[in-house]
Amino acid sequence: MNPFTNGPSRRSILFGGAAVGAGALLAGCTSNADNSTKNDTGQTKVTGGDNAALGKTVTIGFSAPAADHGWIRAITDNAKKQAALYKDVKFSQVDAGADAPAQIAALQTLIQQKPDVIVLLPQDGAQLTATGKAAMEAGIQVVNLDREFSDAGAARLLIKGDNYGMGLAAGQYIGAKLKGHANPVVAEIAGIDNLPLTQDRSRGFRDGLAQYGLKVTNRVAAQFTVQSGQDVTANLLQAAQRIDAIWNHDDDQGVGVLAAIKQAGRKEFFMVGGAGSLDAMEHIKSGDSPLEATVTYPPTMASSAVSLARLIGQGKGMSDLVELQVPKQIVLTSETITKSNVDKYLPLGFRS
Amino acid sequence: MIDVASPAAASAKRAGWWRGDGSEPVRRNLGLVGVLVLLYLVGALARPDIFLHGGRLWSNELTVLTQASSIGVITIGMTFVMISGGIDLSVGALLALASVWSTTVATQSYGPGVMILAALLVGAGSGLVNGILIAYGRMVPFIATLATMVAARGLAQKISGKLTQIVKVTSFNRIAEWRPLGIPLLVIIFVVVAVLAWVLLNRTTFGRRTVAIGGNAEAARLAGINIRRHTLLVYTLSGLCCGIAAVMVTAQATAGSSDHGNLYELNAIAAAIIGGTALTGGRGTIVGSVLGVLVFTQIYNLFIVKNLQTEYQQIAQGVIIVAAVLIQQFRVAALRRPVPPGA
Amino acid sequence: MDDAATVSTPTPAVEQAAPLLRLSAVVKTFPGVRALDGVDLDVAAGEVHCLLGQNGAGKSTLIKVLAGVHRPDAGDIVWDGQPVTFPSPQASMRAGIATIYQELDLVDDLTVAENVFLGHEPRTAGFVHRGPGARRTREILAQLGHPEIPPGRLVGKLPAAAKQVVSMGRALSRRARLLVMDEPSAVLAHDEVANLFRVIRGLTAGGIAVVYISHRLEEIREIGDRVTVLKDGRTSAANLPAATTSTRELVGYMTGRSIEYVFPPRPPAPPVPQRPTEPTVSQGSVAAPVAPLLEVSGLGRSGEFADVSLTVHSGEIVGIAGLVGSGRSELLETVYGARRAHSGSVRLDGRVLRPGSVRAAVRAGIGMAPEERKSQALLLGEPVYRNVTLATFGRLARAGFTDAARERAEAARVTGELRLVPADVRRPVRTLSGGNQQKVVLARWLLRGGCAGTRLLLLDEPTRGVDVGARAELYGVIRRLADDGVGVLLVSSEVPEVLGLADRVLVMREGRVIHEAAASDLDEHAVLDLVMAGSLLSGAQAEGDLS
Repeated sequence: MNPFTNGPSRRSILFGGAAVGAGALLAGCTSNADNSTKNDTGQTKVTGGDNAALGKTVTIGFSAPAADHGWIRAITDNAKKQAALYKDVKFSQVDAGADAPAQIAALQTLIQQKPDVIVLLPQDGAQLTATGKAAMEAGIQVVNLDREFSDAGAARLLIKGDNYGMGLAAGQYIGAKLKGHANPVVAEIAGIDNLPLTQDRSRGFRDGLAQYGLKVTNRVAAQFTVQSGQDVTANLLQAAQRIDAIWNHDDDQGVGVLAAIKQAGRKEFFMVGGAGSLDAMEHIKSGDSPLEATVTYPPTMASSAVSLARLIGQGKGMSDLVELQVPKQIVLTSETITKSNVDKYLPLGFRS
Repeated sequence: MIDVASPAAASAKRAGWWRGDGSEPVRRNLGLVGVLVLLYLVGALARPDIFLHGGRLWSNELTVLTQASSIGVITIGMTFVMISGGIDLSVGALLALASVWSTTVATQSYGPGVMILAALLVGAGSGLVNGILIAYGRMVPFIATLATMVAARGLAQKISGKLTQIVKVTSFNRIAEWRPLGIPLLVIIFVVVAVLAWVLLNRTTFGRRTVAIGGNAEAARLAGINIRRHTLLVYTLSGLCCGIAAVMVTAQATAGSSDHGNLYELNAIAAAIIGGTALTGGRGTIVGSVLGVLVFTQIYNLFIVKNLQTEYQQIAQGVIIVAAVLIQQFRVAALRRPVPPGA
Repeated sequence: MDDAATVSTPTPAVEQAAPLLRLSAVVKTFPGVRALDGVDLDVAAGEVHCLLGQNGAGKSTLIKVLAGVHRPDAGDIVWDGQPVTFPSPQASMRAGIATIYQELDLVDDLTVAENVFLGHEPRTAGFVHRGPGARRTREILAQLGHPEIPPGRLVGKLPAAAKQVVSMGRALSRRARLLVMDEPSAVLAHDEVANLFRVIRGLTAGGIAVVYISHRLEEIREIGDRVTVLKDGRTSAANLPAATTSTRELVGYMTGRSIEYVFPPRPPAPPVPQRPTEPTVSQGSVAAPVAPLLEVSGLGRSGEFADVSLTVHSGEIVGIAGLVGSGRSELLETVYGARRAHSGSVRLDGRVLRPGSVRAAVRAGIGMAPEERKSQALLLGEPVYRNVTLATFGRLARAGFTDAARERAEAARVTGELRLVPADVRRPVRTLSGGNQQKVVLARWLLRGGCAGTRLLLLDEPTRGVDVGARAELYGVIRRLADDGVGVLLVSSEVPEVLGLADRVLVMREGRVIHEAAASDLDEHAVLDLVMAGSLLSGAQAEGDLS
């Protein structure tokens, strides 16, 4: 079930502290670390049952781009913590360096060490496809995270998020709330406009609104940064004297969006975010801003990837499925967090 | 011996009434005022409901001025640097560093006063580093500030852990919300900085030295001006402007971030250039730079209120830069064109 | 006629029927200056034709006419029998004229071969063939007698003499038939000059004509075939045989300029006792009744000048005569602190000045009008008054705030005394004539009247680019300054200027002061002899016998 193309992109680099989805806040950030946040969340449960039982020891190699932004940081952190939960997993992380060639070089070293499984978030899906293939040919199972290889044969398993689904969920939420309004004004604050992921999200948003006969009235694009979010929103609020709903693609730039709204003293609309950052969830919970929902793009996929890598290494299937093996592809659903379910997600809230 | 002075004198007469001796900023910037009027007319055609409606126009233009305020302050600092014959590529990164430094949990615990002071000190201090590298390390300004640009951005990322540092000190955030007499405080800061800068450039020995070392560093040196010390001060001033802008941006965004001030160096240089500041130094005005910033901010605003794609806005900015610089060059060429011998 | 030892082909006769190049009655005027006022020149294929003349005689303009940089206002140029015009440097080059300027126009970061073929690289469809270029370059360098210069070497790494050979190689690669060389020996050491001559002889043996410009008479004798002398933009003597014309005769054609400079009268009594030798005086010496204002002793900068000692007294104008490259400008800048002395000291009123500090010199009361007025002294786009107050605006300011009204008033007062035209201190300096620009520079130092004011003025080529009428005025200004007690140290390439204006004259040659005398004891011939030949020639030794 993959209705959209999700080509290789450099999204994480541009994603900024876009901080998507649930995931544990890292311990020991900097002096800035907010002490009140919780740790050790966002891991799959190690419950009873066959799969939890100690099995053959599996060596898992892991490679993701350097943690230069919040979302990638969560990916790496989640993978590490998940691996630590298993006594039969040996986890070996290699740094991916600054670009695709550096990551290819690092992976070649990793392949030499012959791990059982490699979990790989590529710098660039297309450029790392050959390396994935080489690993598979060397008898190493590859789990491809988020940025898809250009050849499905280069990975045993693909786990990725759903940008189109994010937009769709946001569109459906807004559509349902505005049903019955006369000529509602719907504004969209996108991220960096020329990225495929932004285009996927916008397409999903249009499709979601269309189900309710609505259209995007005003669309602006920011840059996934707080300052750009503030800047476009300040001008957007001048463009439309009355707005009914805003979808902002990214909770990090959302900090700036909310600041601009507050500075302009505007209150007549409601807003939906995107990502699922801790800050966004706190606003949703307290109701102190127009932000009343956000749609997720979860970095928990890294935790799941490590769990599934272990099962693949041990030749087991997923216990709830009939099949004896782990499936070939998993696309995560984008969840909608609102005041009614925010408490459930709050521990997974990710600091932008 | 070739005497080129006389033809220059003749052509200066030809060049016309508008060329004053440097104390006529308004006339010198008539072109930019014209562009602003043109942009207003475009706005009136595109969105008459905003541009022909007093209340909404006032509100919209206050927004333009507010959004112009931080880049405006940066551009004013850049104008001094460029008039002195230098360039400062580090302004955006210094803004980010100052904003991050002033919004760490530790700094925030001391309250808004310390946060502001931290931003100003970090900005001015980093500018001082630029100045030392250029004046005493004899580095080319382009290279020196390129290096501090990269380093300051990196340091900002290191301090913030690449996380957005949300400002919990609400009184600090109110800097961006206060509207004494209905005018946003940020706009007032911008105007005050611009007025002070105008006085500094046009009425003080500091300004005179800036023009002198940019116009002809050798002549300034041979007249006994301490070029190194002054270069140091000019870059420190630019750094201080970055610190002021950091306070403004941080309050606006309600957060400190290593992403703040992205591409500010290019925007500031572009605004100063269309405002008539020469990349070669010795020439430039505060009024021109402020108008340059307003032109860019107004274009940005027009594109958003007209709901147009951002790429068109970038194209428009490029066209305006090219047009403004071409016009400037034609003016200079007209001034310097020698009269053919015997004419 | 020199026969090159290395070639066996007979050299063409000097007096050929059809010259390669003939200029007749060429006129070129610039506003305010008639740079060429009827120049005739004949150059035959295969000869070295020397061009002689004082500074300002029109040599540079003539070269630029030949190179297509300037278009003459009148007169004819006949090239190879055809009347021609050179509307552009490219046209001149295509015709076969190559000019080698004093500051060689080579690109230091390109190789020898790339420089030789710069602008006409052997190529196909935009791709440069490196192989043939290097091969041809090797041939050309061998032809020039320098096969040892590697075509692949970066030009920046070559010594000056080799660079000159590369320049000539470029001319050959364009198949030039006439080579114009502007003071080629100025940058060369003595043995390198011999080398250069060997190359030139090789070229002329192949039928190439050379126009050779030099101030050094001994060189002209050695390499030249014929000499043409310019004076005040006219040909004062043409086609003299280089080997046999006497120095006296040549100097005679160069001097006695027709333009009457009006020099202000000197004060009736010399302001100081004349002591032509032993310029350094120990403090308290009974021989010096008046302590000198400026006392330079043993000043030197390696490669520029050495062991210069001189004094300037209050109210005295001391002139330094010398050729470009004699170290005179460098000396002046070192006294001013713009260059740091390697040895020796500068004292003003007996106090040693901090070396290498302009600010110390300015504070002590020294002012300078540098040689390159536009690039070293003026903010061309700024108004007159700001240029006048460039050294004083800080003192005229109040608590850091400039006082423009006061600056304008002061500037107007001083420029008024100097009769600045137009008398508008708000005009950009760019719009003023050369003479008036110079007045602005002088006004800068005049403004510092009073006790903290300018005590000593250093003037480097004060009348360069100034037209004739304005010169007399400037001379008057300088003399008035001296009369007011300012000491003046003056450098000029124009011998009459030094002689007419200064009280005492020092002659510099190759970085050393070789002669010092009261101006009234010298004449133009004597100074020219000293400047060019390094000694007073026999016959010119007894003052006054040339009149």
